[in-house]
Amino acid sequence: MKQSTKPTLHLSDLKQNQKGIIRHCAAEGMLKQKLLSMGFIPGAEILMVRNAPLRDPIEIGIHNCLVTLRRREAKLIKVEML
Amino acid sequence: MTKVALAGQPNCGKSTIFNMLSGVNQHVANYPGVTVDKKSTTIKFQGERFEIVDLPGTYSFSTYSLEERVAKTFLLDEDTDVIVNIVDASSLRRSLYLTFQLLELGKPIVLVLNMMDVARRRELEIDIDKLSEMLNLQIVEAVGTKKHGKKEMLEAISRASRETITEPFKINYNEFESYIADIEEMIGLESTISRRWLAIKALEADRVILDKVGINKEIIKDMTSSIHAKYDLDVDQTFARLRYDSADIVYHKCVKEKNKNADTLTSKLDRIVLNKWLAFPILGVVIYLIYQLSIVWGYKATNYTWPFLAAFKNWLVAILPAAKFIDVPLITDFGIWMTNSAIALLNYIPIFFILFALIAILEDVGYMPRMAFILDRVFRKFGLHGQSTLPLVLGGAFVGGCAVPGIMATKGIADERARLATILTVPYMNCLAKVPFYTLLLGAFFKEDMAIMMFFISTVTLLIALIVARLLTSTVLSNRETAPFIMELPPYHLPIVRSVLLRAVQRVWLYIKKVMTIVLAVAVVLFVLLQYPGVSTEKMAEFTQQRDKALNAFDIQVQKTKYYQLIDEASEVSQLVNLYDSYKARRMLTKTKGAVVSLDDAFLAKNPELFPLVRPTDKGAKKINKAIRKLSKVNKKLKIEMKNEKITNSFLGMFGRALEPVTQYAGFDWRVNVAFLSSFAARESAVATLGSLYEKGKSNLSPEESIAQDGAYTPIHAVSMLLFMILTPPCIATMVVVKLQSNSYRWMLFATFFPITLGIILSALFFFLALQFSWSGIEMMRNFYISVVLLTLILALFKTKQSGWQVGKSQ
Repeated sequence: MKQSTKPTLHLSDLKQNQKGIIRHCAAEGMLKQKLLSMGFIPGAEILMVRNAPLRDPIEIGIHNCLVTLRRREAKLIKVEML
Repeated sequence: MTKVALAGQPNCGKSTIFNMLSGVNQHVANYPGVTVDKKSTTIKFQGERFEIVDLPGTYSFSTYSLEERVAKTFLLDEDTDVIVNIVDASSLRRSLYLTFQLLELGKPIVLVLNMMDVARRRELEIDIDKLSEMLNLQIVEAVGTKKHGKKEMLEAISRASRETITEPFKINYNEFESYIADIEEMIGLESTISRRWLAIKALEADRVILDKVGINKEIIKDMTSSIHAKYDLDVDQTFARLRYDSADIVYHKCVKEKNKNADTLTSKLDRIVLNKWLAFPILGVVIYLIYQLSIVWGYKATNYTWPFLAAFKNWLVAILPAAKFIDVPLITDFGIWMTNSAIALLNYIPIFFILFALIAILEDVGYMPRMAFILDRVFRKFGLHGQSTLPLVLGGAFVGGCAVPGIMATKGIADERARLATILTVPYMNCLAKVPFYTLLLGAFFKEDMAIMMFFISTVTLLIALIVARLLTSTVLSNRETAPFIMELPPYHLPIVRSVLLRAVQRVWLYIKKVMTIVLAVAVVLFVLLQYPGVSTEKMAEFTQQRDKALNAFDIQVQKTKYYQLIDEASEVSQLVNLYDSYKARRMLTKTKGAVVSLDDAFLAKNPELFPLVRPTDKGAKKINKAIRKLSKVNKKLKIEMKNEKITNSFLGMFGRALEPVTQYAGFDWRVNVAFLSSFAARESAVATLGSLYEKGKSNLSPEESIAQDGAYTPIHAVSMLLFMILTPPCIATMVVVKLQSNSYRWMLFATFFPITLGIILSALFFFLALQFSWSGIEMMRNFYISVVLLTLILALFKTKQSGWQVGKSQ
């Protein structure tokens, strides 16, 4: 896999309206399949749209779509900030 | 006949297209063994017949979610001739991910670009010819909501059905190609499905496919690790990446985004609807509106539909053999019992219809997943899901709902464990039929404190549901499949009236079909249990004696009138009493003066001799009328006493008494037991049974007063009963729906007996405590409430253990 030299952070750590590129995804099994089919693959550009009113889950923009996921799951995805 | 399957990702407008193709002529069922909707229709177009099946919406073809498994199994097993891939034209890039996998199947495909109007509004310019050429398939543009493209679609399907695919579409999977070729060699199976597709899915370690082609899992595991060692590639991720890369290439060659950074209407709306401060107030308003429109207004609407049901009942009673005073023929008793059971449920149809229509609107608009997004954090704490909100509200999270639509609304919850937990907790909500029971007991024992008691009752149920959900998900449900909370928030759409109404009608009809049949079957059983062995001979003789006494008194009173020859025989008197009763029943339903006149005329035409005695004008007739009224009253009183005697003696009565040794700890005597047992058929009957058991002829008292004056119960008895009713088991209709939605009789039985056990234990516990510490009824209720609140808070502070699917480890 391509190694980026830039520092990465968890998807869950992005602030509202920050953009990033997915670099790595540590999910396995069902979660991995689900993420893949929604387009969470290394190289994909994502936008942190907003937190839920109770801060969890979070809303992510990816491939022109809006997708929600819980922080626990977002933690498994490493992104490079744009 | 050409078999056509509609496939597409969720929110692509697939159902709208299906509705457009099928009109009202559609068949809704479940896929065998699973609770996923299977919609199909047969249509004729230019002399050809097409059978169209609507597959569940899927993003991909992995084996993880139920919908994906169903859709894949269907495509594998059925000899589908043409696949229609419906795509949201405004999010073409992601949609192509599924399209590629469908193309690889090697079957003729028609690509339907739906929502072209949205795409145009967003200034997306799609080069249809180019796209068609690159993917080598037919493309139809459509706007499902405006019924554009139906003819073109059918023409394309018809053309496609005559096609044979010689060389299926191929994506170049680079490093994987040699492995795919190796697996293709291994597949011996002859199939209408492309061998390459099977090989690709086998390499993706798809369990369903591996079983089908008979390749050992270990072989694939070896390949996967060799790929990992050789190229440092993860198989699943690489497949996904290559598909997305191909989609990107196709997208950029065929689509021009003219207005790239435009703020869509959806994102503007979301800024308000999902705003940190506004989200909860808006959610509250939406939930309140649903409740108000469906439950409150729907209940008012039943005032208009009830007369029709009552008229039907009167009509039926009229054609059944008439009663001779207290001797009611069995067939008449049975007929009335069955009609009462049926109309008790049919009465709720306006509520269901409004409710189902509103749910359909929320689904269409796209607010449902947003509701889940807002509330997920709260519900997750208790093992539920953001999507549990609506089922709980419909079930009666405020006072008054109905568990049946509530449980039906659990269909969309993706997480199997949370879905089952929701199904099992919705019956704890306060259904509309529980309310009369509460008001009966509160009216009898807590007249002063009715408001605070009602507040306790209506808020405690939701907390109990949360506790039970937490209890179940961490015990019996802990091994159930759960799903990660990954959900698309679709763009907002305006609902389409036709499709909303169609779905509401379909769901109401499904309810009538499935629920009514079983409820009626159980009603028969209950009838037998209540009817037999019947009143003893000695008691019967007593009743007969009383009847004769009343008849004699009547005879003496009317002897001197000029009408006497009309009513000097017992059969004539009985006829007159029946006429009097049936006129009174009809008169109650008549509101306007004109209607009364025409009712009178109709009765007079039918009974020219006797009716003047029911509506007397001269002195003699008035005298008789007075005597009939008295006789009718005595007759009714005797009938009620007989009914009570019958219930007391009945099998259900015996059962109620047999339960006394256990239920006495909660303070329930056999009469309460019988009331609870009969409430099982429909909750309404609890009040009716309890009321009639206490009525005992003291007919000038309201049921509340007669229970309060009976002296057998104290306020703490009442609270004990209230606690049991709060936790009480679902009624039969609910049980049927639990069975339908959980697909298991075991869960249905669990859903019945768990609440009964819990209810009796808690009632007994608090009854005992109340006696020990001599609490008043209010104190007992308050202490119960405080305990529940504390328990909820404690559970909320504990971290939930997540199981079922693993986050970081492989399965």
